[in-house]
Amino acid sequence: MSYFESRLPIDFDKITEMLKKLEFCEKLGIKNVILEPKNDLDVIPLEIKMKIKKNANLNIFFRINLRIVNLEDFKKRIKRYNNFSDILSIESLNKEVQLQAAKDSRVDVISFSNPQIIKTLTPGVISLTKQNNSFLEFSLDSIMITNKINQSKNFRNLYRFIQLALKYKANCIISGNSDDLYDLRHPRALMSICNSLLGISLDKAKKIFMVNPILLLERTERHNNNIIEPELRLIKDEE
Amino acid sequence: MEQKERQRYISFKIIRENKIEITKNSLLKSIWQSIWRYFGLKEANKIGLWLIELNLNEEYGIIRCTHQTKETIISALSLVKQIDGIKVILSPFKTSGTIISIRKKINQGKKI
Repeated sequence: MSYFESRLPIDFDKITEMLKKLEFCEKLGIKNVILEPKNDLDVIPLEIKMKIKKNANLNIFFRINLRIVNLEDFKKRIKRYNNFSDILSIESLNKEVQLQAAKDSRVDVISFSNPQIIKTLTPGVISLTKQNNSFLEFSLDSIMITNKINQSKNFRNLYRFIQLALKYKANCIISGNSDDLYDLRHPRALMSICNSLLGISLDKAKKIFMVNPILLLERTERHNNNIIEPELRLIKDEE
Repeated sequence: MEQKERQRYISFKIIRENKIEITKNSLLKSIWQSIWRYFGLKEANKIGLWLIELNLNEEYGIIRCTHQTKETIISALSLVKQIDGIKVILSPFKTSGTIISIRKKINQGKKI
């Protein structure tokens, strides 16, 4: 497999817009994409998945991102994901939620994509994700803004916290996460930005953009070995 | 004796809004602006940027730089967002050490 765009927000209600975005990805030469629904879906329906896979010439995977406010909310919402076949990520400003999510084996990714949330990253979360073989996610969306002051602040925060994660040898993925079509970039280009502006060596950047997303997908597959589809599970394999 | 400086040729796709014309001058200006904005003088003097070809019909361009600044140039190209107020993406897709091989690769339509 080649480079991965590990987060592409898409509105599953607008099929034409979605297909246009995927076509644009093909034009850019992106081969592997992980799609995330914008419209707060809990589970992506099977028909939509099939329809997308049929219409695009890309390797398409799916993820669900939960934006969680507090611990009670987390405990309540995570119950639905015991048998989940896609990638599950958690995004929260609350450190308790982050720690709990990092301990929870159902959670695959703790996302620090938001410029506000990235500041809450602690060595504790990094350590727990390492123990649990889950992943930390950073996003380069915040550096594509035009306002120079905000852009340099975002660069600084990304640099600081990516370096912190690398220092503790965390499992990281970095995504483009761009909503606008013209903010999309090929992951190889993002790798260069990481190398030249965020101080990540090319070897590490390659691992982040090529190897870690595969490991993440393997992790979800391993978790859900017996799950055929959400709410449909193979209990006994009769040969 | 100092070694001769090696060069890299980078080809990039041009994806633009509404297929509006872009001149060589405006393209180079925006690439230099991006280099200055993100890397400053210290990197800019090492680059040796040269626009070899701009083909708007087939939507690609080729630039030349020194081999040490390849990643810098790829980043600078990727961070260009607008040319003359038109939204664009300059997406690097092939790097090579010789102009012959990069043209061959463009003709073959190979991508990274």
